[in-house]
This record gives sequence, C-alpha cells and structure tokens, in this order.
Amino acid sequence: MAYADLLPGEMRRKLAQKIAESETAREQAIDVMTILQGHFGYMSDEAMLAASELLAMTPLELEELATFYNFIYRQPVGEHVIHVCDSAICWMHGHESLLDHLLSRLEIRLGETTEDGLFTVLPVCCLGYCDHAPAMLVDRRIHGELTREKIDRILTKLIEESHSLPGRK
Amino acid sequence: MPRIIIDGLEIEVPQGTKVIDAAERLGIMIPRFCYLKSLGAVGACRMCAVTFLQGPFKGVQMSCMIDVQDGMSVSTTHEEAVAFRKQVIEWLMLNHPHDCPVCDEGGQCLLQDETVSGGHGIRRYRGKKRTYRNQYLGVFIAHEMNRCIHCYRCSRFYQEYCGYRDLGVLQMADRVYFGRFEDGQLESPFSGNLVDLCPTGVYTDIPARHKVRSWDLNRSPSLCIHCSLGCNTVANARHRTVWRVEGRFNEALGSEFICDRGRFGFGHTNHPIRPRRAKEGSSFVSLKDAMKSAAEKLRHIHATFGAQAIACLGSARNSLETQTTLRSFCEGLRLPEPHFFVNPHVKKKVCGAVARLDERVAVSLNQVAHADFVLAVGTDPLNEAPMLALAMRQAQRQGASLVVLDPRPSFLPAPHVHMGVAPEALNGVLGGLVRKAMEPGERENTALRSRGFLQSLPGEPFFRAFSDEQEKVDAVLSGLKKSRNPVLVCGTEVVRESTPSLCADLALLLKEVKGRCGLFYVLPGANAFGSALLSGSGESTFLDVIQSMERGFTKALVLVESDPFVHFPHQERLREAMKKLELLVVLDHLPSLPVQTSQVFLPTSTLFEVDSTFISQEGRVQWSRAVHEGGIPMEQWTGGTHPPRVHSTVIPGRDFRACGEILKEMARIVGGKGKVFLPDPWSFLERGPSAPEAPSRGNRPADGKRLIPRESSPELFPLQEGHFTLREETEHAFELLVVEAVFGTEELSAHSPAMEKWEWEPHMWMHEQDAFELGFSQDEVIGMDLDGGTLEVKLKVCPAMARGVLVLPRHHRLQWQKFSDFSMRVPHDCMRKS
Ligand code: SF4
Ligand code: SF4
Ligand code: FES
Repeated sequence: MAYADLLPGEMRRKLAQKIAESETAREQAIDVMTILQGHFGYMSDEAMLAASELLAMTPLELEELATFYNFIYRQPVGEHVIHVCDSAICWMHGHESLLDHLLSRLEIRLGETTEDGLFTVLPVCCLGYCDHAPAMLVDRRIHGELTREKIDRILTKLIEESHSLPGRK
Repeated sequence: MPRIIIDGLEIEVPQGTKVIDAAERLGIMIPRFCYLKSLGAVGACRMCAVTFLQGPFKGVQMSCMIDVQDGMSVSTTHEEAVAFRKQVIEWLMLNHPHDCPVCDEGGQCLLQDETVSGGHGIRRYRGKKRTYRNQYLGVFIAHEMNRCIHCYRCSRFYQEYCGYRDLGVLQMADRVYFGRFEDGQLESPFSGNLVDLCPTGVYTDIPARHKVRSWDLNRSPSLCIHCSLGCNTVANARHRTVWRVEGRFNEALGSEFICDRGRFGFGHTNHPIRPRRAKEGSSFVSLKDAMKSAAEKLRHIHATFGAQAIACLGSARNSLETQTTLRSFCEGLRLPEPHFFVNPHVKKKVCGAVARLDERVAVSLNQVAHADFVLAVGTDPLNEAPMLALAMRQAQRQGASLVVLDPRPSFLPAPHVHMGVAPEALNGVLGGLVRKAMEPGERENTALRSRGFLQSLPGEPFFRAFSDEQEKVDAVLSGLKKSRNPVLVCGTEVVRESTPSLCADLALLLKEVKGRCGLFYVLPGANAFGSALLSGSGESTFLDVIQSMERGFTKALVLVESDPFVHFPHQERLREAMKKLELLVVLDHLPSLPVQTSQVFLPTSTLFEVDSTFISQEGRVQWSRAVHEGGIPMEQWTGGTHPPRVHSTVIPGRDFRACGEILKEMARIVGGKGKVFLPDPWSFLERGPSAPEAPSRGNRPADGKRLIPRESSPELFPLQEGHFTLREETEHAFELLVVEAVFGTEELSAHSPAMEKWEWEPHMWMHEQDAFELGFSQDEVIGMDLDGGTLEVKLKVCPAMARGVLVLPRHHRLQWQKFSDFSMRVPHDCMRKS
C-alpha cells in the first residue's frame, strides 16, 4: 500500500474501518474520496492512488466516479468553492447575467480560481433548488433567489472573514 | 418463431432476435454505432431508429432494443425515421475532427458509412469543436480521442465483456472521455479488439499505423495459429508485407474477437531474419537445387543404411497439408512413421485426448460460453488459449460458476474458484469432486458399468490439502450438483497422461446423470489435433529417435517446420546427438537453431502465403486462404523509399514453396519415376473417421466442420491402474512445469517485433510457503544446478498455487533446457539464491 501508507495514521485507520464495515468496499468510494479531499483540499493523483489501495478498486474505476461527480475536485480549488446551478429553471431566472456578474467581480472565467486562491467557480447540474431559482452553492451552503446584491454581500462577507484571519492582510 | 415484415419483406426469426438483426438477415443494414451482437444492446447512440408501422410498438423506435414479435411491420425508410437518423448523425459529427485523410480507419470506418447513409453532408454547426488530449496506451494501440462519438462499445467490451479494469469512461457531459487513469500499457490481452469494434478511428493498430490505406490492402479469410483454438481472422497485406490481422466471426467460436497474441503475433512472416533462401551447407542455392540435393542425399542414406536410418519430425504448427504430405512421404519411401511431438508424454496426452473426443460430449467454444458450470482441469485458460478465458467469462456473466483445478497461479479474468492442485493430485481431486457431487439417487440411476466406475473414484485423501479451504470445496460441490449443463475443460500440458481420458470418462458419466455434459480439450499448438491424427498408432517416440541418433543408427533427420530445441528438455544432449547425424535437412520459415546447422535448408511459406488447413482442438477443420505471394517486404527491399521503378518478373525473396510441395517434389526425386504421391489432406479427410460428412475441396463450410467420430471408444470407462496416486510427501524436490504465457512463449509470435515490445522478464512461480521454507523471497534470482548446467531465474511467490511445483513460463529468451529427462525434477538442495 505504497500510497495509503502515506496518510496520517489515524485517518487511515478510520477509513479502513469504514470500508471494512460496509458490505462492499465499492459503496464507500465517494465517502472515502470526500474524506480525503476534506483533508487535502482536492484529490491529487496520490490521494486517488491511496483511495484505490484502500478500496481495492483500480485508479481508473475511481477516476470514473471522481470525474463524473461534481463535488470531487481533481485539481486544486480555492478556499471557497462556488457551484453555480446550471440548469433550465435557473436559466429562466437570469442565470446568465448573474454568472457574468459573479465572474467579472472575481475576475475569472468559469472553472477558474481567483489569483488570491480564495474562490473557485464551477457549474453544477441542477441543485434541486428550482423553487428558489436562481441558486448557487457556496462551501456546500445553498443560496437561492440570487440577485447581484445578494451575490456581492456573500462575497464581501467571505472576503472580510478571510482578511481577518491571522496571517492574512 | 415470430415473423416480422421489414420494408415489405417478411422473415421468420428465432425468439429473442432483435429487429436490427432480423433486418440484417434480409440484407438490410440498419445504421448503428453502439449495437454489437456480441456485446448486446444498450440503445445509447440512437442511430438505429426505424419506424414501427404495425404491432405492439408504434412510431420511431430503436431497432436494437426491440425483439421481433408477431405482427410487427417496420419501415427503415419511413421519412420520420430517416429524418431522425439524419439529426443523430449530424450531432454525432459536431466535434469530429474530419481527419479522414490521415486516419487509419478511413475506408473501413463505420462512422464514414453511417454519415453517408444518414444523408449528412453539409455542416451547419459553426461553434468550436471540443478536443481532447490523447493517451499512450501501450505498444499495440494508438489513441485519437477527438474522433470519438461516444458509443460506449470500448468501455463495455473492455470492462464487462473482458473483465479488465484499466480502461473506461471518464468525465461527463460533452467532455466524456474513454481512456485510462494515466498513460500506460493496456493491461488486457484482448485490447486489440478495440481497433475492430470502435466504429471510428479512436483506437488504431500501431504496427499498421500510417503505413497502409484499407482500400490498398489484399484481404483474405485466415486463421490464428498461435494456439489450438483456431480463432478466425482476416489477414491484410500489401507490398509483400502482412500489416494487420483482424478478427472474423465464427458461429462455433461464438464471437468475432481474438486475443492480442493472435492479432499481433504475425510478425514472423515479415521478419528481416526470416530465412528465405535455400542453403546447402553455408552457401545459398536455388530452392530447386536444394530440393534436388536434399533428395539425393536422402536417397544416398536410404541406399546405404536403409530406410530406418531416416527420421522425420513435423510439429503442431504444420498445416494439415504438410502433415498429410509428410506422412505419405514416409509411407511412400517406407521410412519410419513421422513424429509430430518432441515430448512423448505430450504425445500420449494429445493422442489420448483426440482419441476420446466424440460427438457425444465435444462442445465448441461458443457452447463453453453458454455452459452453466465450467470445470477447468490442468489448464490455465488465459495463458494457454486466451479466448477460452473470455468464453468462460461470458458463461460466468450469465450465471455459471467457474472452477479451475490447476497447479499454476490463476489469472482468469472472471470470478472463479481456483484450487491449486499439483499435477499428480489432479485426477484424485477431480474424481473425488465428481463422486461427492453425485446425489445418492443419481448414483443409483447410473448404468451398472458407470456405477462401478463411480465407486472406484477416490475419496478423502486428495482433499487433505484443502482441509482449510472447505468453503471452496463446498462451493464447487454445490455448483456441480446444481448444474444442468456442465462443461469439463481439460489441458494437455501439465497434466498426467491419464488425465485427458479420465476427463472423457467423467464427462460421459456426468452426461449420463445430467443429460448433458461437454468436454473441451486445450491442446499444445494450432494443429496438435492433426499431429495426433497423423502420428499413427506406433509406440515409438521422438525420444527413441534421439537414442537412435546417439547410437548412430539414425543417420538423417528431416525437420519439417519443427524445432526440437524448443521442447526437448536437454539442450546439450540434443546438440550432441545431432552432431552424430550425417544429414540434417530443415524445412522451415522460422530462424530456428537447426536452420543454421542444417546441411540442406529449404525455405517454406507461412500461413499467409499458401492456402492451409488446420484442425482446432475441438476437431474442427478450418481453412485459411493465402493473402499474398510473399517475398521480401517492400519496406525492407527498398529501405523504406519508393517502390522500385524498374519492373521484374521475379519476386525478390520468393524462392520458397509450401512445405508439402517441397516434400512432394523430394519424394518424386528420391522415389524415382512412377512413384509420385498423392499427398492431399482431402483424401486423408475423406477416408477419415467421419467420412460421409467430411468436407471436400468443393464443400468447405464457412465456420469449418467438426470431424470427430460419433462414439469414440467402445469401452465406456477404461479405468486403469495408477490413475490415482499421490506423490510421496517425503521427496524433497520440485516438479518443474514449463508452461505457456499469453505473450512471449509461443513459437511463432515470439518472432513478432510488435510482441517483443510487450517486454516482461523471465520468471518462475513458487508457492509462498515453499519459498518461505527454503528461505527464498519474491524477486530474488534463484540458481538451480541441473544436469545440463545452471538455470537462473527470478522468483515470484504466490499464495494461491500448488505446493511442490515450480511454474516456469517458457519465455523465448530463457534457456531452461537443462534437464536429463522429461520428468524435470528439481531437488531442493540444488537450489540457491544467486
Ligand atoms: S472510443 Fe470508439 S468505441 Fe469507444 S466510445 Fe468512442 S467511438 Fe465508441
Ligand atoms: S485464443 Fe488462440 S487462436 Fe484465438 S486469437 Fe488467441 S492465440 Fe489465436
Ligand atoms: S445501435 Fe441502437 S441505439 Fe445505438
């Protein structure tokens, strides 16, 4: 287990136990990757290989899942990941202009991370929040009935919070 | 059987036939991408839309998803369906790079065909095309993802059909990508089929890449002769070069797939070091002169020392034409019977198997794929007959249990029970399993003679080795009990001499009890079956020939497309014996060792240069047609530049002939006037065991024809002494099993440059516990001091294989031939780390 052995001992133990307790290792694949991602920030190739060892799945089999599922990141992402809902109901409620606004405020394109590493913006297929469209998810928290102002408020708050952290200006 | 009307034509088809296949039977090819009969239907591409006019379905539907039912009427040309297909192909083409001029698939591309048939000609989409980065997929297959139309055939074949787990579907939406986790050699030895089944040019064959256009190629129905299954192929040649081999459907084999050994193993025919010129001593002569000289030298020996001083050795790579000619060559000149096997044990086993295979139990590969229980005994399907492993996997996917009783580590790409049984215990374990699996009622119902046989099968002692694997044994027993359509697969290389016939007995017994049971032998070599038929009934073996050479009785040896060094266990002894010969005549197309030392060398044609007949392990007689005349490949002749502008009537490097024809000519010269032979496989087949149904020159069924007797031995269960014995446990020696691997061991494909790139290091397997007891560990190089010198091999340990054996794949670079006899025992005390 060349890669799994590099994980922190406690984490490795917990993951192994979680896998052992389920009927098939495979059913824990997303959970294991989510936990590893929580620790490393994203799923690096090494993390993928570690997961594949723990789950006795091939790296390819995990990659099939990881690259299909929106919430596994195979590249480094910013501190805050914004998933903007990209489906029909949101399109009907001004998705495009709001997305434009968000991206121009952050000075990035869809899929990119801001230079300061604070934000990554990704599209996501339906968030299931259609009754409050347009919607987006920020760090797994849902925000509906979005307007430019609301988006600004959310961003400002996150930026301020991060500036108040020690070591940040 | 339901009837359907398609475009006004009525047809009756078997229950469960898809509309798309019914149409095909009528000669109507409905466009398709995702559908492939061997893979089943998924309805992913929407290209096969037709309009249902009458019956349980109405309107536009996918013809690959609907089974034919009575009362259906379908139009493939209805305007709605046509418009639908036109749309589908238009959007499938949105991102396609339109790089047909540089694409190797061009001219042989389903996407080209369907684009035209769909009526899509003018591009309307003006957006940017999505592009991908390609991956390195190894030495056989190139990747060009931009051409993909997302039919999912490749990933379904790779993972579901074959059971390999390193190529699949990545990403989502319009980024969907077919590839690997990272660049690297595809692990599946069936990967070459991706080239055939991808409807566009995503996967192309590397040896032929950018070398030829499909419309320039000569194509002919051919056979794979790299193992005994005889998969059907299409050979492709141009400019005196065989470029590519593709799979070809055969009903009895059940699919159009082949393994990568079969696909990429043809390189010997083009090889720069292929001996193409006849030789006398060390000087090149014309074939005509060489034949004359060989014949005269033989006549001289014949006259001086008598016919008994001449020995002939054919092999399992001979075509049936060669074998029958060799036999009548020997008969006509009153020479001793020809030999076709170097190893007397293998001869006994193969002849035993061939003698016992009859219509009561013989099954085709396709029937193996439809069995509900497959018990493989003393065979390693993936390495000995790769497509057998896939057939077993298909059986498993439909619910069959698979059991492998074999001393080697098992690599079968399907869930199965593997019991690592040593060769000497195979009979006992097998017999014991069958005995135990018989319900008491069934035992009573068997005929008296069978009951006696059943009672004579051994019980407990053979299971001792599996006492801590009771679960496995139970699983096997319950599977065998439940099974209604079992198949016994039996190898002929590592097993004892009695095992093939024991398997035949057990198959008959199981058939008596269950109403059905198949028997499927795996033989060593493409025409091992023919070798057995033509070996004759004599008891003499090639070992006797060696002894006779040593004693100076045998003065001349004729090697007919055979190389005894490959199989004889004592290289030095053979070399010495051959030195005593007065005459060594070699007929071959491989650059074997004896070619160099022969007094006369006669170059022969390969499978690709002459129509040939082979008999597969099932007793199926199959035909391949020559794809070209042969000769030095143009690339080698010109050094890669333009073909010569000066014309000539002679083909360079074409001074060879079919092996049989050379023998015939030599026989004519040796025998003098009036003794011309009629060495013809057809006359052999016509007087063969099932003469009335025998194919003839005028009657060659496309799928070949199984030629075995209805009933083989009148004796039902000829059980013999010594069928069931266990080795003394006190013996401190390993039994060395020299075995096949998918790549790198088979004689012909060992000369394939494409295959050579699939490098692996020679190694040898040992049980973990055995290694531990001797103080050896994984990856250490072990030296063995044997009678014929020292053998050094890297060790691999495995917890799931038989104890007391060493398993050594016969790597073509490894000289393992250092044993004094064929039993090949390696005492513990001659082994050490080096
Ligand atoms: S690579 Fe070929 S076989 Fe695979 S999905 Fe694409 S078009 Fe189909
Ligand atoms: S399974 Fe045997 S006959 Fe078939 S393609 Fe492979 S090597 Fe050739
Ligand atoms: S062939 Fe029928 S949907 Fe693809």
